[in-house]
Amino acid sequence: MAALGYYVTVLAIFACIYSIITIGLNIQWGFAGILNFGVYAFVAIGAYSYGLVTLGKPIPGAGQSYILGIHAPFVIGLLAAALVGGLAAWALGAIALRRLRSDYLAITTIAFSQILWLIAGNETWLVNGWDGISGIPQPLNGMLKLSFNNYNFFFLALSLVMLALVMWFAQVTLRAPFGRILRGVREDELVVESFGRNTASLKLRAFVTGGILSAIGGALLAAYVGAFNPSAFLVGETFFVWAALLIGGSGNNWGAILGAILVPVVFTEGTRFLPSIPSNPQLIEAFRYIIIGLLLILTLKFRPQGIIPERPDRFQRATKRDRRLRTGRAAAPDGEEPPHA
Amino acid sequence: MTVLLLSIGFGLITASVIAIAGVGLSLQFGVTNFVNFAYGDFMTLGMYLTLLCGSVLHLTVYEALPLVVGCTGLVGVLVNRLVLESFTRRGSNPIILLIATIGVSLVIQSALLALWGSQFQKFALGASQPLHLGPFIFTPRQLIILGLAVAAMIVIHVLLRYTRLGKAMRAMSDRRTLARIVGINTTWLTDWTWFISTAMAGLAGVVLAINTASFTPFTGFGFLLVIFAAVIVGGIGKPYGAMLGALIIGVITSVAASYMDSAYKDAIAFAVLIGVLLVRPQGIFASRGRG
Repeated sequence: MAALGYYVTVLAIFACIYSIITIGLNIQWGFAGILNFGVYAFVAIGAYSYGLVTLGKPIPGAGQSYILGIHAPFVIGLLAAALVGGLAAWALGAIALRRLRSDYLAITTIAFSQILWLIAGNETWLVNGWDGISGIPQPLNGMLKLSFNNYNFFFLALSLVMLALVMWFAQVTLRAPFGRILRGVREDELVVESFGRNTASLKLRAFVTGGILSAIGGALLAAYVGAFNPSAFLVGETFFVWAALLIGGSGNNWGAILGAILVPVVFTEGTRFLPSIPSNPQLIEAFRYIIIGLLLILTLKFRPQGIIPERPDRFQRATKRDRRLRTGRAAAPDGEEPPHA
Repeated sequence: MTVLLLSIGFGLITASVIAIAGVGLSLQFGVTNFVNFAYGDFMTLGMYLTLLCGSVLHLTVYEALPLVVGCTGLVGVLVNRLVLESFTRRGSNPIILLIATIGVSLVIQSALLALWGSQFQKFALGASQPLHLGPFIFTPRQLIILGLAVAAMIVIHVLLRYTRLGKAMRAMSDRRTLARIVGINTTWLTDWTWFISTAMAGLAGVVLAINTASFTPFTGFGFLLVIFAAVIVGGIGKPYGAMLGALIIGVITSVAASYMDSAYKDAIAFAVLIGVLLVRPQGIFASRGRG
């Protein structure tokens, strides 16, 4: 029973962190239609920033080398992650968003992510190369002196608070004029431009917001796991977040959370009863990825709006009701059309 | 100077691999108008099919080549029919198709992982003695790669210039609507395009594995960005541009790798890619931009 409780707590912590990252992507893709395939680059930036700021000075001979190491508290680490993540998103977005069509932007963001990956892996002085940084202090663990299990509960509470804040922020953004105009950019950039709005700057703001949220998710990940290395930000991880968002329902923050809970749970639990074969230890992992890939394709094919579709806004709802009243029958479900299909 | 010439020689071999892959990817983009993120995984499929031919049919790498190339092409047609065609028929946004190809990529990659595991695989190729050709040093294996690339380019050139299919492909990538209006059978064209494009991927995969000696289920996907770099430098959707782009990326990365940390070989290609996208997204050789 205790083992089950522990297991559920760990899953819940990862679900919270994953939700924050997926909401970040939702603001970029679901709201503004920005095809960012470099999500985990920003997660990595957040994780490394948090680690470098909260770790102490590297001890010579202890086998780790990295820059900074100022032993800052959790909050400073989190702020540093958000700041560096935001700056990186701003730098990439400022040059890439202005001129590139979506598919080129996707390729550029992957290339950006891969360049960061190569640097993180090869420059050992920077973030300890391929081995990565470890021993990142868990927030308040030294002060609270909790047992291992109780600390997990504490971290879950912390993650839930963070997720609640992020969710509140994303919901406010969605309903604000800014959120509405972002959806305008997503549907038809030319129309928004003809109303005199600068679409490049709008997209940049959405991109930076998403980058900050991904970095915060990365900081929490590093804080919980206590380590981060380049193998944690392969391109596959980014596609995983994409699968979560599209299956859950892009454009809807609740959909993002549902996807972030569902995809990892399906991933870890969906193959529980497959026999493990000693000759191929990766077999189960491979089947998990096959399931995620198929789920992604099937979602796009049969339910492109995701499990929880985007809520039509007040105006769309009103016109639909109006039409129903006038024609005296159920209106065509045009408000439920997939946002991007 | 010798280092420079030697690295240009290596660059030519890398360029041969990229050219085969790049021309295939470019053809497919030109006709279907979306970026195929599963392309690298078709390359990996080619590598593992060769392995399979070796263990089951006891064919050598070169004997298996026609069979492997044909089979990869057929898998491509199958993937198009089973997965992607319904999106095209529905008139989906090219971006949705792009994301769908990521699902395809995950499935192919993981299927290979499930069947063979993640350990490094190798073709059974004997040792080969290096030959001195003028200032260059090539192994016979590298010369075969070069020859295959040249042959593939000639075949594609003949296809595009002199056959009905090739002309239809060019028409489709040039003016989509006009091509439809004059009555080009799009189903026929798309099937053939997928066959040729993924067959080229299969060939490129085998050639890449011969060149780099070892591979895993992730090798093709890792190579994808380098192909994108070449294709975009040459102008996406333009097969002849892709050939030139391959030459540029192949030589630049090889030369750079011999003068700086070779770990950053790919990073150079990505940097060129980002640079070209920002300065001339239509490609270096595009005569006129079409948006």
